[in-house]
Amino acid sequence: MHDRPRIAYVLDPRFPGGTSAAVAAELRAVASVCRPSVHLVTSRMFAGQTVAPALAQAFSDLALDPIWDAPQIAAETVILHNPAFLKFDAALGRRIVARDLIVVTHENFERPGGAEGFDVASCLDRIDRGALALTKSLAPVSPLNRATVEGWARRHGMPGGWSLMPEDWFNICDFALKPPTTEPRDRRGRHSRPGFEKFPSVEVLGQCFPARAETNVILGAEILTNDAAPSHWQLFPFRGLDLERYFEMIDFMVYFTAPTWQESFGRVLAEGIAAGKLVISDPATARGFAGGVVPARPDEVDGIVDFYIAHPNRYAAQVARAQEGLALFSPDAFVRRFAALVGISAGVPA
Amino acid sequence: MILIETGERSERAFDAKLLFASQLAARGHRAVIDDRTLPPKLERYQKYEAAPRLVDLSAVQPSRVILIGAEAVAGETLLALRSGGIGARTPVHMIGRFADRQGAIGAQAKVAYALGSEPLVVDLAQLQGAALAPNAISPLAAAPVARLQPGRTPQLFVVLPVEALEDPQTLPTLAAIDNLPGYRLNVILPGKGKEQVKATRYAGLNVFGYTELSPAGFAALADIAAFCGDNVPGERMAAFALDMMRSGRVAIDCTTGSGFIAGGAPAVRGPADLAALANYVQHTVLVNRAEIGRQAQKSPWLARHSVEPLERALGLVPAEPAASGTVAPRTLFLPTNGVGLGHARRCSLIAEAMPEAARPAFAAFPSCVPLVREKGFDCLPLVQKSADHPEEFANDLLTYLRLSRVLRAGDRLVFDGGYVFDSIHRAILEKGLDATWIRRGLWQAGQTLGAALDRQRAFARVIVPGEAFEELNSDRGGAKVYPVGPVVDRLAPLDAEARERAQAALARRLGRDFDALVVTMLGGGVAADRTAQTQAMAALAEARSGALNLVVTWPGAVVAPGLAGWRNTLVVQTRNALSLCLIADLVVSAAGYNSFHELVYHGVPTIFVPQMAVYMDDQERRARAASDRGLAVTVLAHEILLLEREVRAMLDGGRSGTIRAALAAADLPAPGNAEAARLILGEGRP
Repeated sequence: MHDRPRIAYVLDPRFPGGTSAAVAAELRAVASVCRPSVHLVTSRMFAGQTVAPALAQAFSDLALDPIWDAPQIAAETVILHNPAFLKFDAALGRRIVARDLIVVTHENFERPGGAEGFDVASCLDRIDRGALALTKSLAPVSPLNRATVEGWARRHGMPGGWSLMPEDWFNICDFALKPPTTEPRDRRGRHSRPGFEKFPSVEVLGQCFPARAETNVILGAEILTNDAAPSHWQLFPFRGLDLERYFEMIDFMVYFTAPTWQESFGRVLAEGIAAGKLVISDPATARGFAGGVVPARPDEVDGIVDFYIAHPNRYAAQVARAQEGLALFSPDAFVRRFAALVGISAGVPA
Repeated sequence: MILIETGERSERAFDAKLLFASQLAARGHRAVIDDRTLPPKLERYQKYEAAPRLVDLSAVQPSRVILIGAEAVAGETLLALRSGGIGARTPVHMIGRFADRQGAIGAQAKVAYALGSEPLVVDLAQLQGAALAPNAISPLAAAPVARLQPGRTPQLFVVLPVEALEDPQTLPTLAAIDNLPGYRLNVILPGKGKEQVKATRYAGLNVFGYTELSPAGFAALADIAAFCGDNVPGERMAAFALDMMRSGRVAIDCTTGSGFIAGGAPAVRGPADLAALANYVQHTVLVNRAEIGRQAQKSPWLARHSVEPLERALGLVPAEPAASGTVAPRTLFLPTNGVGLGHARRCSLIAEAMPEAARPAFAAFPSCVPLVREKGFDCLPLVQKSADHPEEFANDLLTYLRLSRVLRAGDRLVFDGGYVFDSIHRAILEKGLDATWIRRGLWQAGQTLGAALDRQRAFARVIVPGEAFEELNSDRGGAKVYPVGPVVDRLAPLDAEARERAQAALARRLGRDFDALVVTMLGGGVAADRTAQTQAMAALAEARSGALNLVVTWPGAVVAPGLAGWRNTLVVQTRNALSLCLIADLVVSAAGYNSFHELVYHGVPTIFVPQMAVYMDDQERRARAASDRGLAVTVLAHEILLLEREVRAMLDGGRSGTIRAALAAADLPAPGNAEAARLILGEGRP
């Protein structure tokens, strides 16, 4: 065991939503080839929150014994997830000693239009000052996320000593796949956390979820209560409806966000695909799924829905193709890439 | 149209919004506030500040939005921005004092998500440096206010925390300062401080509430401001101090924590002990006042905290001041309605004495509007106070709105009345008006001018129309108080022959002969019920076969139904009572200013029945001044039998002839109509 490279994860385990789920899936996946040490950080960003359930479950299932706020972290490879958790802290608050430090950039460095997503330079600087490493790399989680890192680097300059990993550190999508319906109907829905960034304007929502649709289900709709939401929308608060039940109610998932924000990976879309739904989103978000998500403008949604209802076979083919595409984000694919990166054999059990 | 929003939704945030909106408005920007953001509880004076700025966003589209206090944006504000009908192309500026770069990025992102478009960020920490008032929400940028009149008595404003009133020495010390020559004292207190002072024997102190005027309004009045307490006393007073320093006036930092000076402001350090302030002002500030102001204006700190850098950061171009001479100032008369229409009549006489170039016009309450229009003047109608309004000053809020809309800087405002309404006071200070107050000179014994005169300093001049008889002129006077001759209507005099011809014409018009014409006009019944006296006059006329008694009232006045039964009495509703009085053999009248002087100056034999009420002038003294000189007869309201005797003496005993002759020979002061008009136009005495 001693000649196997030591791997350490560094993260604040309290971030909610897709990022926690992705890291939990990653820990489960890499458990087949290594036993990493997991270092948990108490950052100011998530003050008052508890450990994300998906991570807590993973720690338990894998019998990992995470270490909270260790003053020093040493390993051949240290993987720090989501540098944005340091945005409210004055320093990293610990010492990292590593051969390779990989910082997985879950949060986009830039928003659409070029505005900074968070104070990236300060966060990287905090890591830089707290880390002694031969190499320091930024690992984007998707092509879009990569584009924002590159855009930020162009505008602000990549800090000295940092490089960009050539391949994406993608989110693992290990969902059970369900077959698509053979008789799609105009039953639409979307789900997300209730933040303002997750929702487009009421006008755009109106185009996506019109009165002519048989069903319009919006899950995580807290912020819409002030918008005098039309009566043909079925609004549910975040976690107000079991996801399985929600997916039973829809055939089309129509997902647009505020134009000033972009999903970095779009795990929520992958969930829709896995559930056997035809997913429609804006072209930039759709691009990350290599044809698995139908790109559209909001005013094109009705036409797309009509087309697929009129052509059930095409509907089924599109969903099937999308589900095949999720294989790119499978645990096996991730482990192969991971093992090559950290210098271990993918076939050797941990 | 610039919509002002705040990050937080609280009373403090709303006040900051008001402050900033008022400041932008003073710079010529049309700053508005979403009426849905009004907090449930507002102070009276905040309502005046808010009223001109409120808009219904469902009816208007702002051209830009400025969000202040953007370092802390509440979810409620984000929801409002999201659903507030702000167009995606409407530029949104966020002004905040961000702790660090992440603070600015995070706040910008939050707003961007809610709007669906990217706001522009102005970081006050970078633009101005540290805030003068800790936790200020408003940007607090210094703006210059209008120049003070040269040579006036300096005005010292002392800003105190309300706890200062707990010290038993505070009010005596202030009273001592108030009696020093060389400057005049004004006190600013928060909360109920003003009411507390007014309930003591120091009620004579001139006290303002924190929000009674805008900071710019205070700065427009003050030459020197001393700020006491532990630290900078809140955003409004910080803004007041900034405007003072920017305008070359003196801000004295008497705070125990040296809050202004520690913040970098070019204030002078004053004593923290109030007892030492008088000497400090007298011997250190007054003698160096101009130089202190000049040095403050040169301060780089003040330059950073001035409104211009903020305007540049926001891309706002201040409105160009109207080039002098391009638009002639207008003269707006605002007579209060009082008991009758006396104020409006007096104003109309002065307005008639003005040249057309002065553009005299009126803003008047409904009862006065026909009178004013009949005289040929434009008239902006105002709303009468009503018990049905939700607040006692609701109509005055409307008056304020209307005055704010029609008046521009440099216009003349002429107010005729006893109590200067908030609307008038604010309009004068905020618009920089050339204001004249016409007020009576005859006061009842024991009536105090104190409360009424608190606001005199906002006026450039006070005109006191004189009484016909010198001993009645009891105004206390002052540096800018100008007594003028009685303001009185003058019609061509009628000799006996002309009177007879006119009476004959009236008889033909009425279809009835008479040999004695009596005019009875005892008032509209607002101040005192004169039904008994009017009925008595009707009864007297009924007893005389050849008498005709005309009961004259204003159009629309309530007339006692009992009068209809008398054969020798007719009710006439007219605004031209003087024409009837001129041809009458006897007039029985109240002794209000206008009626009295018209009757005396036109030589009409009159029995005066004074009306008295606590808020009115002293009609009895006025009437007796004439009757003591043999120029009229005075009968008090309860002296009905005396009234009967005096009527007989006038009509049958030849007394009216005696009085007419005495009036013709009386040496009365020259009317002051024209002089009052000249003074208002700045053409009178220096």
